[in-house]
Amino acid sequence: MDHAGYAALFLTESREHLRACNQALLAWEQDPAAVEPVDALFRAIHTLKGMAATMGHDAIARVAHSAENLLDALRTGRVSVTAGLLQLLFGAVDQLANGVEAAGAGTVPASDDSELLVALDRAADGGAVGAATAEYAVHQILPAGRAVSVAIRADAPMRGGRAMLALRRAESLGTVTALRPAAAAFEREEFDGRFTFRLESRASDDEVVAAIVSAGDVASVTFEDAVPERAEPAARGRQIRVDLRRLDAMMKQVGELVVARNRLVDLALRRSDPELEATAERIARLVGGLQSEVIAARMTPVGEVFDRFPRLVRDLGRDLGKQVRFEMEGEDIELDRAVLDEIGDPLLHLIRNAMDHGLEAPEDRLAAGKPAQGRLLLSASRERNSVAIRVSDDGRGIDRAAILAKARREGVIEAAADTLSDDQLLRVLARPGFSTARAVSGVSGRGVGVDVVATRVRALGGTLAIQTVEGKGTTFVVHVPLTLAIVRALLTSIGSERYAVPLAYVAETVEFDARSVTAVRDREALIVRDRAIPTVHLRHLVSLADETTPRHRPSVILEIGERRAALVVDALLGQQDIVVEPFDAPRGMPSFFGGATILADGAPALILDAAALL
Amino acid sequence: MSHTVLVCDDAIFMRTMISDILTQAGFEIVGEAESGVQAVEKYRQLKPDLVTMDIVMPDMGGIDAVREICKTDPDAKVLMCSAMGQQALVVEAIQAGAKDFVVKPFQPSRVLEAVQRVLG
Amino acid sequence: MADSPTFHAVVFRVGDLICAAPAGIVREILPPLPATRIPGVAGAVEGLVNLRGVLLTVIDAHRLLDRPRRDADEGPIVVLDVAGRQCGLLVGEVKDFVELPPAAVAPRGQLPGVDPRIVQAVGNHGGEHFVILDIEALLAPMLGS
Repeated sequence: MDHAGYAALFLTESREHLRACNQALLAWEQDPAAVEPVDALFRAIHTLKGMAATMGHDAIARVAHSAENLLDALRTGRVSVTAGLLQLLFGAVDQLANGVEAAGAGTVPASDDSELLVALDRAADGGAVGAATAEYAVHQILPAGRAVSVAIRADAPMRGGRAMLALRRAESLGTVTALRPAAAAFEREEFDGRFTFRLESRASDDEVVAAIVSAGDVASVTFEDAVPERAEPAARGRQIRVDLRRLDAMMKQVGELVVARNRLVDLALRRSDPELEATAERIARLVGGLQSEVIAARMTPVGEVFDRFPRLVRDLGRDLGKQVRFEMEGEDIELDRAVLDEIGDPLLHLIRNAMDHGLEAPEDRLAAGKPAQGRLLLSASRERNSVAIRVSDDGRGIDRAAILAKARREGVIEAAADTLSDDQLLRVLARPGFSTARAVSGVSGRGVGVDVVATRVRALGGTLAIQTVEGKGTTFVVHVPLTLAIVRALLTSIGSERYAVPLAYVAETVEFDARSVTAVRDREALIVRDRAIPTVHLRHLVSLADETTPRHRPSVILEIGERRAALVVDALLGQQDIVVEPFDAPRGMPSFFGGATILADGAPALILDAAALL
Repeated sequence: MSHTVLVCDDAIFMRTMISDILTQAGFEIVGEAESGVQAVEKYRQLKPDLVTMDIVMPDMGGIDAVREICKTDPDAKVLMCSAMGQQALVVEAIQAGAKDFVVKPFQPSRVLEAVQRVLG
Repeated sequence: MADSPTFHAVVFRVGDLICAAPAGIVREILPPLPATRIPGVAGAVEGLVNLRGVLLTVIDAHRLLDRPRRDADEGPIVVLDVAGRQCGLLVGEVKDFVELPPAAVAPRGQLPGVDPRIVQAVGNHGGEHFVILDIEALLAPMLGS
C-alpha cells in the first residue's frame, strides 16, 4: 500500500504527539508521584508507535516500543522513577523527534539510536515484555464532554458581552473546548449571540443549563449528541486538517469579497431602490458572517507556540546552571495562524535572552537577597484588537547607566542626556548591532538580537516595548494584531483626502479644542482627563496647507502600551473593514504609512501606522 | 444586613445616578472612586460586596482595575458599566474577571437585575 | 532590439514631446483614473489608482520630463512593466502603435531639451521623429528599492 498521501498528516500529527510527550515529561518531572503525566506519555508514545509502524518508519517504531516498555515498567511499579530515567525518556523523545523530522524530509535520522535502545531496555529491566506483537491501532477516544449550543436573546444589548458571561459560567463548571465562533467574534458588534462549545464537566445537564441561564438574557441552551470522533491529542472536538495555503487562499478571496461588498452597499445606497438596498444589505450580512467564520477558522491558540518553550527553558536552565520556575498564562488566547507562525522565533529570542542575560546564577541571586530559583513568565492577553505577549523575568534588569554611557559614546543619543526612559532604552537596544555581550562589559548583553526581534515584530504590524528595573527584572511586551489580512479601521479625513487608522491602536476619539491645549517640552499637547497627550496634526503630516479650520476638531487617541498621541483630523468618517492591499510603494514614502487599501467607493486610501507615529 | 457597594466612575453624574438607583433598592454605598487606581485602593480598604466599574477612566482604566482587583480577590463581584459600541471592551472586561455588565443609558430595572445576578 | 527585425513601440505625447515605449513592456492603456495622492514622495508621483481591485502607482510623465501639460489633455495612463514591477505613466495622449524596421531606429542621439540618460534610441515613423524612452532609467528612481 502506498502511504505517500499520508506523509504530511503523519508529520503534523506526530509533532503534536511529541509536543504532548514533552509536556507530560515536564509535568512528571515537576511531580514524580503524579499518575496522569505517565498515562499521557504512554498514550502519546503508543500512538506514535502505531503510526510509525504503519508508515514503515521502523526506526521510530523501535524507539517508541522500547520507551513504551520502560513506561509500562514504571506504571506497574516494577521500576521506580528517578531523575536519570526521566532524562533517558527526554532523550528518547528527542530521538523520536529526530526520526519524525527525518521521515518528513525523506532522510535517515542523523543520530544512531542503538545506545539509546540498549539503555531503555536495560532500564525496563530486560525481558519485562513478551513478544513484540504490538497492536498498531490508533486509540479511539471519545471527544471530551458534551456539545452545548447557546443562543443569547436577539433583543439583548451587547450580545457578545452576554455570550462571554454565559461562557464564563460554563467554564466555572468544567473545561470548555472547541468554542465556535472563536471568542474574538464575540467582540464584533454584529455578533448574533449564537455559539457552541464542548463542556467536560461532572455537572448534570440541568445544572449546566441553570449556570448558563444565570448569565442573563439567554434565549436557549441545547445539547447535541456526542458523536464519536477520531482521537486528537488536545481533544478539541470535531476537526479536520486543512492546508494552511487553502485557508490563506480563502482569506484572500474573502478579503476581496469584503471590498466588493463595501462597494456594492455604497452603490446600492445611491440608487434609492429599496429592493436593491435590501438585497445588498443581506449580502453584506452574509459576507460579514463568512468573514467571521474564515477568521475564526484561522484562529489558533497561542499555546501551540508556547508549548515548545517549557522544554527549551528546562534545557537552557540545565545548560546555563540556572534554576528557573517557568510559568505560562493565557495559552488559550487566539491569534491568526499567520501571525502565530511568525511570532515563535521572536519569542524564542526573548526567552533565550531572559535565560542567558536576565536571570542570574543561583549564587548571585542568593547574594542579592533573592530566592535561588528565578522566575520566568510567558503570558498572553487580549488588549482591544491586539494581543499582548509578555516575556517577564525577575532577574538583574538592565544596567541603564552602562547603556547610557555606551549610547553617548556612540553618539546614539545626545551627550547631554543623563537618563534613559524605557522607550529610549529600547530604541538604543534595538539599533542594529548596537551592543554585543562584550560591549556592555558583562552587565548584560541585551542588545543581542533585540534589533532582530523588533524588526520581525514590526514586520507583523506589531510593536515591542520594554520595562526594566535594575535588580528586579525585565519585561518585554510584544503587541501583535489579531489578524493580518482584514483590519478594522477608522476612516478619517483631511480636506478632501481620506486616511485609514487601524482600530487596534485607537484608544478613543475625543474633541480637539484649541483651548484645551498646552505645551509640554515645547510640544503641543492635548489635555484629556488631566493627562497631557502630545498632538500630531494629520494636516501637517501629509503636508497640506493650513486652512481656517474650526476650533473644534475630532482627534484620535492612539495608544501603544504607555505611549500615546492625539492625531488631530478634520473629520471622522466611520469604521470600515479594510483589506491591506499590496502595492509597490514609490521611493521615499514616509514610514508612517503602513500600507494602502481600497475603500468602499473604489478609491485607494493610505493606512496610517500608529506604531510609527508614536 | 444590606449589601455594600463601591461605585467607580470618573463622572460625578454617573456616580450619583448609580448610587441613587442602588440606594433606593436598599444597598449601602460605602465608597466612590473616580479612577482605576482609586478603585483598586478602595476595594482593598473597603472590601465591598459589589463594585460598579466604568470601563473608561483616567489613570487606570476599568478593565485593568478589574484585573488588579481579581488578582487579589478572584471572587470579587464587579459589575461593568459600559456604553453602546464598547462590546470588545466588555468582552475583555469579562475575560479579566468582571461578573456582569450594564449598558448606558441605565434603566434601573436592568441595573438591579444585573446586581441580583452578580450577588445571587 | 538588435536581434529583432522590427521594433514595436507605443507612441505617446507628453506635452509637446513625442515619445515611445517598447511595446514589450506595455501592459495596457487605461483611461484617466482618479488618483490618491501619496504625501511625502517625489512630485512626479501622481498617486495611487485602483486598477480593477489592484493598486497601481502612477507617475506623471509631464513632471518627470518637465513638459507642461496641455490643458485639453485628460491624461490616459500607460501601464508598464518596470524591473519586475508594474507602474502607470500618465501621458498627454496615446498616439499610435507602430512597427519600425531596423532602419527606422537610430541608436540614441542628442535631442534638444531631453536628458540623454533616459533616451534609448530615436525612432522615425512616417517622417515623424520620436524619443524611444529608456523606461527603466526613467522610472527606476521613482520606485522603491
